[in-house]
Amino acid sequence: MKHLVQAGEKPTHHDFILAAEGVNKVFDGFKAITNLNFYMDEGELRTVIGPNGAGKTTFMDLITGRTKPTSGKITFAGNIELNPLSADQIYRLGIGRKFQNPTVYIHHTVYDNLLLSLKGSRSVFSTLFGKVTSTDKDRIYSILETIGLTECVHMLAGTLAHGKKQWLEIGMLLAQDARLLLVDEPAAGLSDEETAKTGELLLSLAGKHSLIVIEHDMVFVRQIAKKVTVLHQGSILCEGTVDEVQNNERVREVYLGRKAAH
Amino acid sequence: MTQSKLPLSSEHIAIIVIAFLGIVVAPYLNTLPPTSWLYISDFTLNLWGKYLTLAILAISVDLLWGYTGLLSLGQSLFFILGGYAFGMYLMLQIGVLGQSKSELPDFMVFLGYTQLPWFWRASHSFWFSVLAALWVPALVALVFGYLAFRSRIKGVYFSILTQALTYAACLMFFRNDTAMGGNNGFTDFKLILGYDIRAPETQRALYIITATTLLLIYLGCRWLTSTKFGKVQQAIRDSENRVLFSGYSTVSYKLFIFVLSSMIAGIGGMLYVPQVGIINPSDMAPDKSLEAVVWVAVGGRGTLVGPIVGAVSVNALRSYSTTAFPEYWLFLQGLVFILVVLFLPKGLVGLWTSIVEYISKQEGGLRGVWASVMESLMKRKGATK
Amino acid sequence: MKLLYHNITRLLLLFLLAGTLGLHAQTPSGGNTRQLITEAILSSGDEQKKKISELINADDVALTSTILTKWRKSEVYIATDAGDKKVPYTLEEDKPIRIDNGQPLTLPQGSAVETDGALRKAIASTLNLLGIADPDPKVRQGAVAKLGGQQKAEYVPLFKARLEKETNAQVKYTLKEAIAITELADASPEIQTEALKTLGSLYSKRSGDLLKKFAGDPSVPERQAAAKSSLVKLENYLSFCETIETMFRGVNYGSVLLISALGLAITFGLMGVINMAHGELIVVGAYSVYVMEGWFTRAFGDAGLQWYFIAAIPFAFVNAALVGLLLERSVIRFLYNRPLESLLATWGVSLVLQQSFRYIFGPNNVPINSPSWLIGNFTILDISFAYNRIFVVCFAALIILLTWLLLTKTPLGLLIRAVMQNREMASCVGVRTAQVNMLTFAFGSGLAGLAGAFLAQLGNVGPNLGQAYIIDCFMTVVVGGVGNIIGTVCSAISIGVATQTLEQVLQNSVLGKITVLITIILFLQIRPGGLFPTKGRGLED
Repeated sequence: MKHLVQAGEKPTHHDFILAAEGVNKVFDGFKAITNLNFYMDEGELRTVIGPNGAGKTTFMDLITGRTKPTSGKITFAGNIELNPLSADQIYRLGIGRKFQNPTVYIHHTVYDNLLLSLKGSRSVFSTLFGKVTSTDKDRIYSILETIGLTECVHMLAGTLAHGKKQWLEIGMLLAQDARLLLVDEPAAGLSDEETAKTGELLLSLAGKHSLIVIEHDMVFVRQIAKKVTVLHQGSILCEGTVDEVQNNERVREVYLGRKAAH
Repeated sequence: MTQSKLPLSSEHIAIIVIAFLGIVVAPYLNTLPPTSWLYISDFTLNLWGKYLTLAILAISVDLLWGYTGLLSLGQSLFFILGGYAFGMYLMLQIGVLGQSKSELPDFMVFLGYTQLPWFWRASHSFWFSVLAALWVPALVALVFGYLAFRSRIKGVYFSILTQALTYAACLMFFRNDTAMGGNNGFTDFKLILGYDIRAPETQRALYIITATTLLLIYLGCRWLTSTKFGKVQQAIRDSENRVLFSGYSTVSYKLFIFVLSSMIAGIGGMLYVPQVGIINPSDMAPDKSLEAVVWVAVGGRGTLVGPIVGAVSVNALRSYSTTAFPEYWLFLQGLVFILVVLFLPKGLVGLWTSIVEYISKQEGGLRGVWASVMESLMKRKGATK
Repeated sequence: MKLLYHNITRLLLLFLLAGTLGLHAQTPSGGNTRQLITEAILSSGDEQKKKISELINADDVALTSTILTKWRKSEVYIATDAGDKKVPYTLEEDKPIRIDNGQPLTLPQGSAVETDGALRKAIASTLNLLGIADPDPKVRQGAVAKLGGQQKAEYVPLFKARLEKETNAQVKYTLKEAIAITELADASPEIQTEALKTLGSLYSKRSGDLLKKFAGDPSVPERQAAAKSSLVKLENYLSFCETIETMFRGVNYGSVLLISALGLAITFGLMGVINMAHGELIVVGAYSVYVMEGWFTRAFGDAGLQWYFIAAIPFAFVNAALVGLLLERSVIRFLYNRPLESLLATWGVSLVLQQSFRYIFGPNNVPINSPSWLIGNFTILDISFAYNRIFVVCFAALIILLTWLLLTKTPLGLLIRAVMQNREMASCVGVRTAQVNMLTFAFGSGLAGLAGAFLAQLGNVGPNLGQAYIIDCFMTVVVGGVGNIIGTVCSAISIGVATQTLEQVLQNSVLGKITVLITIILFLQIRPGGLFPTKGRGLED
């Protein structure tokens, strides 16, 4: 247990891709996030687990500007404060997000889905008069290859199977070339085989990108996780490797205790 | 980017043929002697001119509702603002030809004005008025749209607020002290650019301008919806949050399309006034916006042909039934609306596409369908025998 | 039925009359009254006027004023008996009755007494003075106010005498006021000053013009100061009254909005779409009242007019609920997941309904008679409260209470709330959502019908009535926050009060309405979810 970092303890070096300090979020008196301190290195793949209502999705909402923290601050890439920015501005900084339920543009083709997510200007003018270059096309086709959807390029995204939608959404994050990817339950509703493939995909992204993955499926977590953060009641219960976390007394209490109560 | 030269598709040919019929042939037939069996009367041509201005309004509704998922119940406001802006010019053109023989519009004389209010002065200019029919609606849409989109008002809320805005404006224009003619509005126009506005030639010219404008707007919107902008726009309709989380400022996109469609509606209103010859605040009652939405729903939303088909067919039906059985028109309109929403969510255009798809799926196309229908008829005949 | 009722009352009256006539025959009641009146009628010139003014001392006030009133209308006649003696008489129920003894006239009838302007004036002033002693406090109050306005010093002792006997607080107040107003005509500035002060402390609305006159007259500084300070007092008081009155009107309008919008809030909260035909459901309620009134007056005559409204309230609720039920079953249930489209389809329904109203009830407004217990008003401190408005406010409160109880304390309410919060989950745990939708929609529609029933008491009923309220209803729901009853209550009352206040301040109802609409649009900038937004944790909200 020597590497286990206690909640709220600040590591010593400073080039974090994401740092949350003293973050609180209250919804109508309900404390979704309480005094959260979270630090993450560039290129890291971090897995966040925690029971329902632990504040995992709210934490992602706070990072991506979907809601604003009641207090505390979140900084990106060392010194960019996220709190005052809107969701689209945060995205343009290079923070991409895959939602829990796959959200793709169902009336657009797979190609168009990726085209719309491609890194580049987001202004009204450029979308009106900009041209799709051959580099753009190449990029789209290489992503299609990565996510294994080359066959489906002209299909409407709404007609894809659930697992393929998940991958398309990950592909859309790739198209954006985000520095930080927030991936909410990528394995939900996937078959074992698909889950394994998704895991490989995420692992291959780590290093080039930084990733935060929220997951429930412990098999999947085992497959991908290097460092795991356990959230409980809106703050960090502990951080460490999968084994360390699984052997942690308090984590067992939170999970098993809840189970016993049910 | 190199584009391979494609032969004209059947769709392109259809557009060209219909445009030619509408813009060239119909006005030509109007110039024939009334005895000719192909003759189109002044009245009919004028009626069609009116339908086409309403089709422009319907396109503006569809651009928002069908393509961006914003059901605006304020489009009749923009339509009428365009109409009023141009109507001010027409009112000033009456000059001393009016009943009161004054340089001022008649209603101002009745209300005791001695000089033109300041915001009327520039309307002496034709081109200023044409531009005003664009920027006045645009300005209102810009301010309202900014406030609404910034606070993330959408869905039914957006509909209700646009309706409230229209209602407020409607109340304002009904007042005499707005200097906009009160509940009588503007009417009794005499001249447009020096020509007699009621002369068949002028009306024919107005018809041609309207039909051409509609064609240009149609082509413009076709282009717009095919660009990446159009894709973003439709993505906003399907999943606004996802677009936001793909880094697009949905506020600017929605604002752009809202302002653009308000200008399109304004153009429609500008062309409507000289052809109908009257404009008053009851044209912007909240019901009118809903009617425009009906046309789009009947024609088929999310397509650009749909609003044109819907506006023309519903209004033609209205013209027919308000003379044939006036008491039942509202029943009919209401029922058509309910039935279309319930059973034809894609409108007439959607119905047409499904029929075409059905036929093309049958062996031998139309001929195959015909054969199978005949066959089943024969069979039944045989069975009864 | 009606005829029988009339006949009974007539018989009773005759019986009573006969009784009184019989009494007169034995002991002529009213002491000297008949004697004095007869003398007055038979005299002439200044002598006659004097006699008329002395009639205020007659014993029987009621009899005096009855005969004087007839005299003034030239309904006193003179017959001549054998001895050439003139006998004045009046007609009661077409029968000549002698004034001097109250007996039926046995002589041949004569001609009416001639009256001129001066005579009528003298009679009127006596009648007014008699009014001070009238048994009906309302008549007393009216008479005192009228006499006070004449500012005749000779009335002051009369007022003072009456003030000592008077028990009714309002009449007392009017007497004090009348004394002070009369004293303003006094020659002495001191008395005038005192009177001005009194009027100030009485907050006398009637003396406003007089106070202004004295406040503008600098000849006696002390008097002017008193007038000014009283005027300020009065004006503050009046503006206070006006504020309260405006608030009351606002609360009243808010209550109407509340009942109308409550149904909308419930159906909106449940199905996520605003029912454009809601306005027409209001009209269904209003026409139900009209129909019920017709039935009752046909069945029970005038008495029916008194009680039909009690029956009309549930009738309006049930009718609107039934129409709502039909609407839900035939149209809305197919569109639960397509809110914008159901908005459009219900608009189609609203067109059909409007045209049906025109077809059934005609295109014009229909008149509705309110029961007499809803007509009229009472006054507190110069603020008048109309009974029908108070009734609406109370009923709105009652409906809110019942709705709240229904939603929070009954099994149906639990189901409704469950479906409102999460349709899928509710159906998963075995709630029959289709039935709940149906009942809730019918309930919401029934509330609209109730709103219509009250609108029928407040104004005209026509096919377009619903259109006038629907936009305000929408606004109320949007401002209140969807599916939130407390929010709807707050927003209805605030919109009602704001509308009335702005109309008062801007002196222009259209500008007031526009201002409210713009304010609402701006308000939604700060709170897009309304006053009490519902917070969802779903991804697509």
